Amino acid sequence: MDKRLVVAPDPLMDKFDPPRLPPDDRRWMTAPRPGGFLGAALLLAAVTLAADRLHELLPENVSILLFLTAVLVSAAAFGFWVGLASAVGAIAAFNYLFVEPHFTLHIARPRDLVTLAVFLLAAALTGILAGRLREQVDAAKGRAAALEVVSRVSGDLAGARSTEDVARIALRHLHGLSQGPAVALRAEGGRLQLLAAEPDGHLPEASDLDAADIAFRRGRAELAAAKGWSGSRLSFYPLSVQDGAGNRRGIVLGHARLDPDRSDKDWREKTIEVVLGQSGQALQRLALAEAAEAERRRAVTEETRAALLASLSHDLRTPLATILGAVTTLRELGATLPPASQTDLLAAIEEESERLARYVEKLLQLTRLQAGIAAQMAWVDAGDAALAAVTRARRSWPRAQIAAELAPLPMIRAEAGLLEQALFNLVENAVKYAPGPIRLTGAVEGPELVLAVSDSGRGLPAAIAAWLASEEAVGAPPGAGLGLPICKGIARALGGRMTAARGVSGGAVLAIRLPLPPDPGGKGAA
Amino acid sequence: MRERRLILIADDEPQIQRFLGHALVAAGYDTCLAATGTEALAQVAAQEPDLIILDLGLPDMNGKEVIERLRLRSDLPVIVLSAHDQEMEKIMALDLGADDFVAKPFGIGELLARLRASLRPRRAARAEQIRQAGLVIDLAAHQVSRDGEQLRLTPKEFDLLAALAGNAGRVMTHHRLLQLVWGPAHVDDVPYLRVFIGQLRQKLERDPARPELILTEPGIGYRWAPAAEGGQTA
Repeated sequence: MDKRLVVAPDPLMDKFDPPRLPPDDRRWMTAPRPGGFLGAALLLAAVTLAADRLHELLPENVSILLFLTAVLVSAAAFGFWVGLASAVGAIAAFNYLFVEPHFTLHIARPRDLVTLAVFLLAAALTGILAGRLREQVDAAKGRAAALEVVSRVSGDLAGARSTEDVARIALRHLHGLSQGPAVALRAEGGRLQLLAAEPDGHLPEASDLDAADIAFRRGRAELAAAKGWSGSRLSFYPLSVQDGAGNRRGIVLGHARLDPDRSDKDWREKTIEVVLGQSGQALQRLALAEAAEAERRRAVTEETRAALLASLSHDLRTPLATILGAVTTLRELGATLPPASQTDLLAAIEEESERLARYVEKLLQLTRLQAGIAAQMAWVDAGDAALAAVTRARRSWPRAQIAAELAPLPMIRAEAGLLEQALFNLVENAVKYAPGPIRLTGAVEGPELVLAVSDSGRGLPAAIAAWLASEEAVGAPPGAGLGLPICKGIARALGGRMTAARGVSGGAVLAIRLPLPPDPGGKGAA
Repeated sequence: MRERRLILIADDEPQIQRFLGHALVAAGYDTCLAATGTEALAQVAAQEPDLIILDLGLPDMNGKEVIERLRLRSDLPVIVLSAHDQEMEKIMALDLGADDFVAKPFGIGELLARLRASLRPRRAARAEQIRQAGLVIDLAAHQVSRDGEQLRLTPKEFDLLAALAGNAGRVMTHHRLLQLVWGPAHVDDVPYLRVFIGQLRQKLERDPARPELILTEPGIGYRWAPAAEGGQTA
């Protein structure tokens, strides 16, 4: 049975490469922001005012330096274009204030023309250099921010336990990166349903849903409509996996379109791609883990079933053989049988019929165990389950000495009925094979709750003890009977294990060990 | 020579010992009991039973081991009690020389029939004639006739027939038949054997599709129908 998971090729799985520092041939002159011009104008105005007021005190070359400083600051703060504009403005202002004739933009003296030309050159160079520096700083910051986001995304997604987790983590980051709403839709059986949104409560419009649907159906990204065009406001990306049954399922993530004029659009886009790619990987990981878990569960079920059948055949055949043999003896040899023999044969038939009935009863309880082992876990008081098992055993074997020594036990996650059955089987095993006192004890040992049945017999056959403690569910040695393989099956179904040891007095100590919940406490104890 | 045959019941289940004991006594046998393989071997040495009923699921050693050790010392008949999940072990036991098997659960009649067949002295290979169901098998002259009419058999077919009919009522494993007729080099040629059995049935059976003389034991071998004990023969 090959039920490998098929993962749809993901168009977003490109290697992430955060923007490099702008090389020389790169378009490093990103679009200026209006705010930059305003800031530069204010700065220039302030410098002009200062130069005008202080021009008695300041020599002309110091004023030039003042203006150059303003240009440098504007370029460094707001980038190349603002720097250039600032330089032009500075020249105009300087010319206006300091070049003969004053308070005009005319230039009278050639000396001043040279001064201005040098000034222009200096201002332009300053603007260019500072602007470039600014761009580089921005790019480096963007790169650092991108890397930080990327590492946070990886960390967050590594802890995701469900599709919902993946969606929520992806949305949080998409929202931060796109600075707009982000939504996740779950695709189940070809229909899309809203799974989560960031900010919470944001509802996608009909056009968004259409785009998401198209994205999921075609299995490729559906980009948002540009500003002013009708269509979806969000770009949608399908992240789908195929489960074992060949159904495509997964989620569609949508995020707001990035403003094309942003200077940091580059790294944000790249990072969004990474978030999408990693979310896809996380979904794959979850789907694979889910498939592996299902496969493991199936295997355990199969193994348990095989183990049960093996021990069943042994334990059912003996009473049947006795009943059939005794009945046919009575019928075919009745005439020659002495009355005492007849009575004894009838007694044997009765005893074995009862034994058979007990097995069948056990089997019925077991069909559930076989039919999926999906134990219905709830908070269970292990002490109660143990006492119930002891009570039942005392009713079945009134002459057996069965003591229960149970310290106050924490609540565990288990299924009460199965746990009780397993303990009952252990007690029954002791009653049948080890005459003498029997003790059922319960205690916490490290991360496990240990429920043990000790008897006063000669110990368990080594082969059976080894098998009980092994990982295998099948291959119970002959003579293991029905009870112990069932116990082992139940222990495994409840997420625990079985151990077999020799007690101080030489008798067998068979224990069921169940994991304690991470927060031992009776939350919602029933 | 004892008045009554002594049967050793080697079974670890007290309930089985219980009913077998009553049944065998009522059927005219004496019984002794053993619950382990070791015990069974000791009983064989001490009591010298005429036959062992051996359960293959003894706690201390498997049936194969018991039979191997038994066969070192004697050829006393062994009837194996087996379960369906002991198929391989059963075949091994028969190949090692167990005379027959009964699958659990069984009716007492079946066991007693096997018992009688196994206790009957084996027909010597020189016994001149076997007569059954209208067949006359003349072992010395290598001739077979049905209702007075001569049948033509190849030498190998005749050897196979002699091996089967000479052990009437007992199961003969594929392995043993192949070894007897074709020699130890051919013990695994089961398909070959099936072809010969088919040819024999064509020549001997009244209705080869519903054999009455050469009975199949699926997966194990063949059994020549036991000679008439209650007017089965025509």
